[in-house]
Amino acid sequence: MTFQWHVIWESLPRLLDGALMTVWLSVVTMLIAIPGGLVLAFMRLSRLRVVSLPAASFVEFFRATPLILQIYWVYYVLPAYFDIQLSQIATAILGLSCNISAFNSETFRSGIVSIRKGQWNAGRAIGMTENQIMWHIVLPQAVMRVLPALATTWVSLFKDTSLVSIISVADLSYVSLKIRSETYRILEVLTAMAAIYWLMGYPQAKIVDWLHRRYKVTE
Amino acid sequence: MNYRTNSKRVGSDARPILAFENVSKNYGSVQALNGVSLTVNRGEVICLIGPSGSGKSTLLRCANALETLDGGLVLFDGQPVDVTNATSARIVRQHMGMVFQNFELFPHLTAIRNITIGLTTVLRLDAAVAAERARKLLLKVGLADKADSYPAMLSGGQQQRVAIARALAMEPALMLFDEPTSALDPETIGEVLSVMKVLADEGMTMVVVTHEMDFARRVGDWVVVFDKGRIIEEGPPYQIFEAATVERTRDFLSHLGWHEESASDKTAHVKTKPTKPRKTGGKK
Repeated sequence: MTFQWHVIWESLPRLLDGALMTVWLSVVTMLIAIPGGLVLAFMRLSRLRVVSLPAASFVEFFRATPLILQIYWVYYVLPAYFDIQLSQIATAILGLSCNISAFNSETFRSGIVSIRKGQWNAGRAIGMTENQIMWHIVLPQAVMRVLPALATTWVSLFKDTSLVSIISVADLSYVSLKIRSETYRILEVLTAMAAIYWLMGYPQAKIVDWLHRRYKVTE
Repeated sequence: MNYRTNSKRVGSDARPILAFENVSKNYGSVQALNGVSLTVNRGEVICLIGPSGSGKSTLLRCANALETLDGGLVLFDGQPVDVTNATSARIVRQHMGMVFQNFELFPHLTAIRNITIGLTTVLRLDAAVAAERARKLLLKVGLADKADSYPAMLSGGQQQRVAIARALAMEPALMLFDEPTSALDPETIGEVLSVMKVLADEGMTMVVVTHEMDFARRVGDWVVVFDKGRIIEEGPPYQIFEAATVERTRDFLSHLGWHEESASDKTAHVKTKPTKPRKTGGKK
């Protein structure tokens, strides 16, 4: 068996373009899913059922169905039945954002409810409004507390963006699999793909670990 | 005047600031407060004592609108406190400082930011003005060098002093202390009590739930004894500690190791304060 690594070197510019798309998809998705998750978390914590119920339904739907199905659904059902035409990239971002927002909302919610009642009372005792307490006292502590969980979601997201290759978004997976079908060099291409994902994913996980240690709230 | 006046303490200059009228509070089937009436006059230090679970802390929480009432009325400065009205409750809380047993400092903020957060968000003071006021208060509680420390870096006594400074920063009309030294190591209790004594000497109105009988005896103007959600006895410290008329009070004090004959020579956490003329002056 001979290896033909030159295939990889020749395809490197295309692979790097794909890698760039993967990074871009992850960043944009997270930029949408952090505020999205916060809004859903606040809605779900609301005492008003008209507010909490839609958020709960949204979250439970997206948490309990496969991401690949959600992407397909946005891709095929929206245009066919609702006459909404989205580009492939917009479709990918929409599907990923809904999914990650749902996960983030549960992360934020668990962080918010984990802050003890005494902190609320301490805020009330100095005359703060409930909103001020949430914003200045509870949320900052909650976010610090859930940073590791957010980091885990981020690392999962970074890999799960590979699913958008099914709707022909030219991310790293899509480009790699395309090169494979052009060259028939399965081992070389898959190895290169794994190496690139790992080289990008591992430092991210480490950076987030470091962030957590740096900003840990000690009591 | 809407206040119920406590005949035992009526003096010509008694100016009520906080009054409880027949206050009741239940937690499920447990009656935490059962018809409690008490008046706090400006400038007084009132100490609430009694066994755990007797309702002392619940009464403080009712004062600060942190609890809904099941009966009765709380009057602050002559106005009924309405817990169900968020704005009204908030305005009352702004004028009452509260110090908690577990400090409840904000762990993600430095000592100085713990103090300024209320000033910048609630009073909308300029950040520089707020910081200036906070530094003065840190100096007052003896922690000028800890402004930039996070709560986790401070001892329990230091944390509680920051918490006192945080409450004082809002320039409250009275201070509520909910067992401020109960969670502290014995060696740091004194520093917190000293700060409280300074406040008392400056004329701050204080309601203190405490198990520190020396503090109640030396700093308190009036001692109120709770048992099972009721006030069973109240009076000036010398009367409660040396001539309690209610059997249950004597019982409680003796369980704490308080003996009348040794009361005068106990080593105190707090230096004896100069005899402060009672503002309410009413002797029986």
